[in-house]
Amino acid sequence: MSENGINEAVTLPEETSFWSAVWTITRKDFRIERHTGQTVSIMIMFSLVTVIMFNFALGTNLGAARELSTGLLWATILLAGTLGLNRSLAIERENQTFDALLISPIRRNAIYLGKVFSISIFTLLLELVLVIVFVVFFNKPFWRPQVLFILALGTFGYIAAGVLITSMSIQTRSRDVLLPVLLLPLSLPLVLPAAMAVSAYMFPELPSWGEVQSAVYLVILYDLLMVTMGLFFYHYVVES
Amino acid sequence: MEMSRLNRYTRVMNIAAAVSLVVAMLAIFFYAPVEQTMGNVQRIFYFHVGSAWVGSLAFLVALIGGVMVLLRGDRKWDTLSLASVEIGLVFLSMAIVAGSVWGKPAWNTWWLWSPRLTMVAIMWLAYAAYFMLRGALDDEEKRARFSAVYVIVAFVTVILTFISIRILRDIHPVMFGGAAESAQGAAEGLQEFSGLDSTKMVITLNISVIAFTITYIAWMLNRIRLQRLTDQTAVLKTRVTAHLQGESS
Repeated sequence: MSENGINEAVTLPEETSFWSAVWTITRKDFRIERHTGQTVSIMIMFSLVTVIMFNFALGTNLGAARELSTGLLWATILLAGTLGLNRSLAIERENQTFDALLISPIRRNAIYLGKVFSISIFTLLLELVLVIVFVVFFNKPFWRPQVLFILALGTFGYIAAGVLITSMSIQTRSRDVLLPVLLLPLSLPLVLPAAMAVSAYMFPELPSWGEVQSAVYLVILYDLLMVTMGLFFYHYVVES
Repeated sequence: MEMSRLNRYTRVMNIAAAVSLVVAMLAIFFYAPVEQTMGNVQRIFYFHVGSAWVGSLAFLVALIGGVMVLLRGDRKWDTLSLASVEIGLVFLSMAIVAGSVWGKPAWNTWWLWSPRLTMVAIMWLAYAAYFMLRGALDDEEKRARFSAVYVIVAFVTVILTFISIRILRDIHPVMFGGAAESAQGAAEGLQEFSGLDSTKMVITLNISVIAFTITYIAWMLNRIRLQRLTDQTAVLKTRVTAHLQGESS
């Protein structure tokens, strides 16, 4: 299987089109994940532990736990996201495969976007598990398609910022420790409206579009800003 | 090495900053009328808006410095960014503290987790993390490049703070270009503050904003000079070390 992957990489034509390069990177990450299975499983385990820890802190007060469940969901995703980001990008550095990516005939921002897609999808897989867990634990309608849509939008923006920041933080002296310090404050302008929008859907009756509109627009704006910055600045942070 | 002396611009700006701050203080305490609903407490507001304004301005300058580092790769732009983030953070902290002191009588609490206040807290954290990133990088060129990218990305928090307070309902009044919203907020009983109800107040606010801006510029000149001296000292140190090692061997 892995030999196959190498052959494919070698036979890429000189001028690879942007999207096929993106797709190649994403598929490569999937293949690694299918063989090692580490990133998503670590993220899921970590999230479960976090949720149980929070429940332990909130303890007997189920009402309070339900009130806080939206924020708790986002906090868990953010924390698990830093693990996924660190893992997926550190693996490339450890095996020196990142240098191979840099000398391959692929544009830097295609590498960036491929990484954003693959880690976003890993995080979305985690979120599917989390949504089930949260519905079971808190008895709130997290399964609503609108909620899943906002989760997907938020995740994409978060990972778009995350890949850029992680690419820097893993090259520093403090490495893994630095990532949450840099990334979490940057992601809060995204999470604040996203959590507001999700909590609007936690009531039995659906909110009108006008109630969530501005929050969703803020999330989309954040996504666009971060992806644009990533596409523009990624090559400045991977060049050595 | 004529760096040890202040140059003329810095000296002029230092004096201008001192004078304008005194003028602003006089205007705030003696020229501005007492506000009707809040009384004398409202005078904090001039200080609060002035420092919040300089905070945003400083982060904008840092952003420009960051862009120039990436375009030109010159060391001086990195120094500009660093100085501006440092000073901006100080002014932002002052704005938060002043706002908090104002919030106690106005909202009966030092702090509220309203969107705007939360966003400002996030902004503070994002820019404080800038120094963590710098501290973790040894290579000078890499530090300049990474900090430049970070400072540009961090500006997203400023942009979103600016936008979100205009579209999310909030207890905090909107100052720049938001008079209608503020008035509406006050009418709904959401906000304490309904805008400036006399020209004297507007004049005082402008004086205070200008004074804070001059102070910022003066401070920047001093901070950039300090950074240059630090860099020169580092170069001299290496030279002395190299010289001493050459002698001993």
